[in-house]
Amino acid sequence: MTGIPDSPGTASARAPAGRRGWWRRHREGAASLANAAPAMLFLFVLYLLPMIMLLAQSVEGGTLVHYQKALTDGLYVQVLVDTLLIAAYVSLACLLLAYPVAYFLSIAPGWWATVGIIFVLLPFWTSILVRTYGWMVLLGRNGIINRALLDSGLIGAPLPLLNNTAGVLIGMTHVLLPYMIFPLYAVMKRMDRGLLAAAEGMGASGWQVFRRIYFPLTLPGVLAGVTLVYVLSIGFFITPALLGGGKVTMVAVLIEQQIRTFLNWGFAAALSAVLLTATLLVYLVLRRALRSNMQWN
Amino acid sequence: MASRHIGIVLLACAATLVPAGAALAQAPAKPAQIVVNDSGGATQAANRKTFYTEFEKRHGIKIVNTSPVDLGKLRAMVQSGNVEWTVTEIAGPDALLAERSGLLEPLDLSVIDLSRFPAHLQKRKYVFPKSVYSTVMGYRSDIFKSGGPVTWADFWNVTKFPGPRTMQNSPIEQLEFALLADGVPMDKLYPLDVDRAFRKLDQIKKHVAVWWTTGAQSAQLLIDKEAVIGTAWNGRYYNLIKEGAPVTMEWNQGAIKESAFGIPKGAKEAYWGQRVLGAMTDARTQAAYADIIGYPGLNLDATQYTDPKIVPYLPTSPVNLPKQFWVNLEWWADNGAAVHERWARWILQK
Repeated sequence: MTGIPDSPGTASARAPAGRRGWWRRHREGAASLANAAPAMLFLFVLYLLPMIMLLAQSVEGGTLVHYQKALTDGLYVQVLVDTLLIAAYVSLACLLLAYPVAYFLSIAPGWWATVGIIFVLLPFWTSILVRTYGWMVLLGRNGIINRALLDSGLIGAPLPLLNNTAGVLIGMTHVLLPYMIFPLYAVMKRMDRGLLAAAEGMGASGWQVFRRIYFPLTLPGVLAGVTLVYVLSIGFFITPALLGGGKVTMVAVLIEQQIRTFLNWGFAAALSAVLLTATLLVYLVLRRALRSNMQWN
Repeated sequence: MASRHIGIVLLACAATLVPAGAALAQAPAKPAQIVVNDSGGATQAANRKTFYTEFEKRHGIKIVNTSPVDLGKLRAMVQSGNVEWTVTEIAGPDALLAERSGLLEPLDLSVIDLSRFPAHLQKRKYVFPKSVYSTVMGYRSDIFKSGGPVTWADFWNVTKFPGPRTMQNSPIEQLEFALLADGVPMDKLYPLDVDRAFRKLDQIKKHVAVWWTTGAQSAQLLIDKEAVIGTAWNGRYYNLIKEGAPVTMEWNQGAIKESAFGIPKGAKEAYWGQRVLGAMTDARTQAAYADIIGYPGLNLDATQYTDPKIVPYLPTSPVNLPKQFWVNLEWWADNGAAVHERWARWILQK
């Protein structure tokens, strides 16, 4: 992530060479850091600095009362847990749906792949609000899906697809699916297919090739996609509010309320800090789990 | 040398003072444009056709619009000293908080003529009462053919009026409606008995299919029959009825309140901001605005210019006004934070 190439074998061999050895090892890294300087400066001024200022507000007056409330008050703890759970479900649903789609796109002949990518991109470019209202039309009590099922006699009463957690999960998965498809597609497209042929040549079954060669090689894409979807899910706002019927509360809603309705920025900052920490923890655990799998190759 | 320097400094001072003095005497230089922030959408379109055009015609300054209305952003602008808005709309319950937090410039009542406004509004210091709107109940007239609910007690009565309901996802007004359903008279609502209101809300909770968040949603839910009885701002129902939807709105026990505008503290063109609000007091322009969107202004002369066909759909019509109660925004400014938290907890309870 830092851009410093990690080559354990050669590094340990040079380690005893002292300071000069250290410089030689990190020269490349320093050079790439210098190249990245403008971008880093940009991120520092426009992202890191405001974030530090925000976090500073959470301890205004030198007390931790805001954190005490955010971490002990049943309302905020429960909403935080609900938010993290919904984000996890959405990530899993996206992964299960995106994996075969990305696989198809990576092996499809040119024209089919183009059409497929357009189908993924079109909704990606459509306003979230429009898509959310679209789901309301499809999933409602008198929506297209329920009406079709009722008319065909498959169900006796409308299924509760909207205005509950199910509606939120469906809508969010749809909105976030492209963020999972593209990282997976990138990894799959680049994959050396000779490896798969070699495994088959050595007598591996289709399942073994997938389990031991293909899937581990796509793990960087899985990690990138899951991270993107998970992090974006946590901040979701309008989709849960509309498709959850007001019954699914996400922590972003409570933070927004503190900022915009009550002007209590200290507490909002503390809630944000807790959310950020929880997200980073989840990310680190995920990365560890997937990394150990990747190194297994 | 020194005296010559002082002379130059004095001259320079004089040079800057002269135009400043002239500006104080007359109007300051006209900017090419000023920014007015409002809630966007249909409201902005109606504002554009009426008040903004009227201001542009009077003063020859172009109005540029931004949206949405955002109290947090207003505070950020005022605190950083980088105020981008000359005038901004402020959501009803937020107006008092904005005033108390010192986020607004005082109104110049020599420019903003409130003499034809209701007496209790004439001494406004910071918050300009631009128009009024009401949260009322509405229902599908094709489902309740022999008449629907007319009181909040009816709204709560799921045996007499069966079917899913929708209400706003906010304690503001839902607590009032619950107390009215429980038999509290309109003029005895405040201070709200919060415990009693939540006990009453417990009874309706499982019949509320959707707690709506946006105005568009409240109307769409009735169209889609996700709910057959609901609440919405009167302009939303007015639009549905105008388009021929089978929806009836009931003014009885509606929650009326003002939609406010103000000038952010430290706004660079505050002088012209006062004049934007001045244009908003004009009776004929207020009438034209109400014709478009169903939200009347508070100039009492406006009614005589309003299309008589539209008057029955206005919360301020002589027939409708006495049926409703004014939401006590002061009570909500004092108690809002705690009650909102309790509301969020209550929503989470299964």
